Amino acid sequence: MREKGPAAALIGKFKSIQSAMFAAVSLLILGAVATVTLVSMNFTRSTIFENSSLYTRTIIRQMNQNIDSYIDYMENIAYIVSSSEDVQEYLFGSGDTGAARERILGQFETILDSRSDILNVGIIGTNGRMLINEGRESVNPDLDLSTQEWYTEPLKADVSVCLTSSHVQHIISGQRPWVITLSRGIRDQSSGVEKAGVFFIDLNYSAISELCDQNNIGNRGYAFILDAEGNIVYHPQQQQLYNELQTENISLILEANSDTVLTGKGKNERLYTLSRSVKTGWTTVDCVNVDELLKESNKAQSIYVLIAAALVIVALFLTRFIAGTITSSIQRLRDSMARVQEGDFDIPDVVETSENEIGSLTRSFNVMTRRIRELMDQNVRDQEAKRKSELKALQSQINPHFLYNTLDSIIWMAEGKKNEEVVLMTASLARLLRQSISNEDEVVPIAQEVEYARGYLTIQKMRYKDKMEFQIDVDPAILHINLIKLVLQPVIENAIYHGLKYKESKGLLIVKGFMKNGNAVLQVIDNGVGMDEETLAHIYDRHKVNYQSNGVGVYNVQKRLQLYYGSAYGITYESKVGVGTTATITIPGNQEDSSEKI
Amino acid sequence: MKKYKKWIIAGALIVLAVSICAGYYIRRKERENRSYSLVYIPKVIDGTNDFWSSLILGTEMAAQEYHAELEIMAPEDENDVEGQNRFLQKAIEMEPDAILFSPSSFTESDGLLREAKEKGIHVVFVDSYTEQDIQDITVATDNIEAGKILGGFAAGLLDPGDQIAVVAHVKGVSTAVEREEGFRAGLGDLEEGITDVVYCDSSYEKSYSLTMELMEKYPDLKMIAGMNEYSSVGAARAVKEAGMEDQIMVVGIDSSQEAVQLMEHGVFKGIVVQKAFKMGYVGVRETMRMLRGEEYETDVNSGCELVTPENMYTGEIEKLLFPFNTLKTSETAVNTGTNGEID
Repeated sequence: MREKGPAAALIGKFKSIQSAMFAAVSLLILGAVATVTLVSMNFTRSTIFENSSLYTRTIIRQMNQNIDSYIDYMENIAYIVSSSEDVQEYLFGSGDTGAARERILGQFETILDSRSDILNVGIIGTNGRMLINEGRESVNPDLDLSTQEWYTEPLKADVSVCLTSSHVQHIISGQRPWVITLSRGIRDQSSGVEKAGVFFIDLNYSAISELCDQNNIGNRGYAFILDAEGNIVYHPQQQQLYNELQTENISLILEANSDTVLTGKGKNERLYTLSRSVKTGWTTVDCVNVDELLKESNKAQSIYVLIAAALVIVALFLTRFIAGTITSSIQRLRDSMARVQEGDFDIPDVVETSENEIGSLTRSFNVMTRRIRELMDQNVRDQEAKRKSELKALQSQINPHFLYNTLDSIIWMAEGKKNEEVVLMTASLARLLRQSISNEDEVVPIAQEVEYARGYLTIQKMRYKDKMEFQIDVDPAILHINLIKLVLQPVIENAIYHGLKYKESKGLLIVKGFMKNGNAVLQVIDNGVGMDEETLAHIYDRHKVNYQSNGVGVYNVQKRLQLYYGSAYGITYESKVGVGTTATITIPGNQEDSSEKI
Repeated sequence: MKKYKKWIIAGALIVLAVSICAGYYIRRKERENRSYSLVYIPKVIDGTNDFWSSLILGTEMAAQEYHAELEIMAPEDENDVEGQNRFLQKAIEMEPDAILFSPSSFTESDGLLREAKEKGIHVVFVDSYTEQDIQDITVATDNIEAGKILGGFAAGLLDPGDQIAVVAHVKGVSTAVEREEGFRAGLGDLEEGITDVVYCDSSYEKSYSLTMELMEKYPDLKMIAGMNEYSSVGAARAVKEAGMEDQIMVVGIDSSQEAVQLMEHGVFKGIVVQKAFKMGYVGVRETMRMLRGEEYETDVNSGCELVTPENMYTGEIEKLLFPFNTLKTSETAVNTGTNGEID
């Protein structure tokens, strides 16, 4: 036989093929469904992710361009204003500058009226002349302009236009708004190349926030702007950010090489999409929560999982059903086989209609059991016949020595003219012979057996004269019970030849008969020499009983009793050396069923 | 049949588990989507006071972000304990989910607060607290720390033996007591220079007149320390008025546009500024987290920062001193509401 593989060993662990099949198929289905679900989930996720980030990249680039052109527009305004002759005249001219001032104010008014996103506009000369908005606001007298970047930067020779990201504009007293300032140096054209003034525009956030919040369609995320140093130019939650109630991973954005960066973990995972502007140095960033981005994918994933779960449940029930149908016939077959194993062949055929392997197996099994049943019936009949013939053979054995000895005794008595004794002995012998030959039946009533024994004992008593005495004490209640022929006499013969014969004094032999526990019991009790334990142990052996005069031994009797009544019945011996021997024959008291067996 | 019983039990268990999960999920969603009503009672509503304006702005922005209905009511006078209690009474009658409260008095509001608690209204202390431990959450500046920072800074400006006067706001109120305690600790040995402590009852005028009196009483006075916006600005006004800004240094706690102006002008040498916006915002945020059954903090120190003429124009301090009030703040708060939890 081949060694069992590990898989076979594993399957062998299950109590039934059904559960093995169920487990195997379930595992297979579960694995298949899980794999397919995972693969499609991942695929959906990455596709949605790709599409979204592509879309976001397009949008954010567009947004960056919009901001560039916005700043461009403001630069144009700055250029136009700062290069006008009125400004030169107002800032650096001597004499009456009133007319220039009016024209500039008119220009400022136009600018302020046309653009709601411009908060302040003004010119400041290094000589202290300045003109802001409508020229009416009082200028913060305590402000030191040299601390203000938007003022100092454009005055440097190499800077033409300065864009100052979010800061507080302190220039007008009583107002401290957050603004983005675009400033441009003004050259004093009369004196040469030196910059001697600054033009500035303060932008409030209305235009920029509008540009950034375009992206907010569908609540997908938000956009914010960083300057080159990483300061926030605009953020929809600027106030929260400034108060450390919101954070953005700014260093990550500044160091990023690609235009998308992932940050955070789990629920807080965010995708930054960047677009850097060469013109302003600003970085426009779109931030979207990955969870939010993958909401569609999550929805799809939930559907996948639900479908997978439903599939698995249906598949499990189906598997169970199929495994059940296949194995139920195997189980029927197994149950049937278990009964056969127990020895019960009287089972009906296993019903199997299927044409598959199990069907043919079942049919073979049915044929086999039928065949075995037939063989067993045959066997029983054969055994019965054999037993009968054996019984006959055993019964027909009449001890020739006894016949010879008895006839010898009769001759002696006849020679001694003991007529009466001769008559008695001959009559007894005649009756004995008649009984043993004439009766064709296997069994006789105990009464007849007892009469037979009495005849035999009478002969023996006459032969052994003073050597023995006998008593017969049988309960009349058992006299009608059937006993197989020639049981009592051989036992008595045994008792005489092995017990009483060797006793010096006169022996006594008692035949008792009574009912006990529903059994009929016959006892042959002698007070002869008895047997030691060794002899007793071998009393049923065949050879031991086969000596000299004695043809029918205990073996024979025991065998016949057990053949007829079963192994629960038969003969038992009790003996003690010097005290005597008791032979007990036990047969069923109610023999109707056993007698019918014959 | 026994076989089927097993399957029925398994099926029943699956159904049970699924329904429990679904129930939990729905309950959670409900809790998240439910609109909560909050009432905030500051000590005062006063447009000129940047501290309270920023704080209220913070509560409003957080309320918008967390979809809470927030009602704000307060007296016009910071020292009006009775007025504040009337508003508290009114708030309790409205039965909101939580009352955020900045007690003007250390003791007078405890009875009403207990009544609120008994009605099942959560109580959150913002900025200051009361005698009894009745609140669910406290969000405040560590006032001892604020005082200490101011004291430490002042000590660097003074010489041993210099005279110092303290103008505090309200006697007995927790913020005043703790700030003064911190201020004294921050001064160290120079604490002995404190010659007088006066209380202005959170009134510019009273602070102004008290300071005038102090300057008269102690002609050698080197420093005046205000313990809140009213007391320090009132004191600074008086010093500026008297033209004493070269002799007397004014330091204080809490800023306003006027305070900034006075600092630019050179009257104020240092101001410790509380993170008012953060305080208000965090107050509402933690309250909402508590109401929604999420994790929340029961004791938040919102922090403070020292502002001097040298650093007042730096980005970090500008962020703190000047509220970012753009046109679209309220609108953007709605737009980005879903992302509000990313901090």
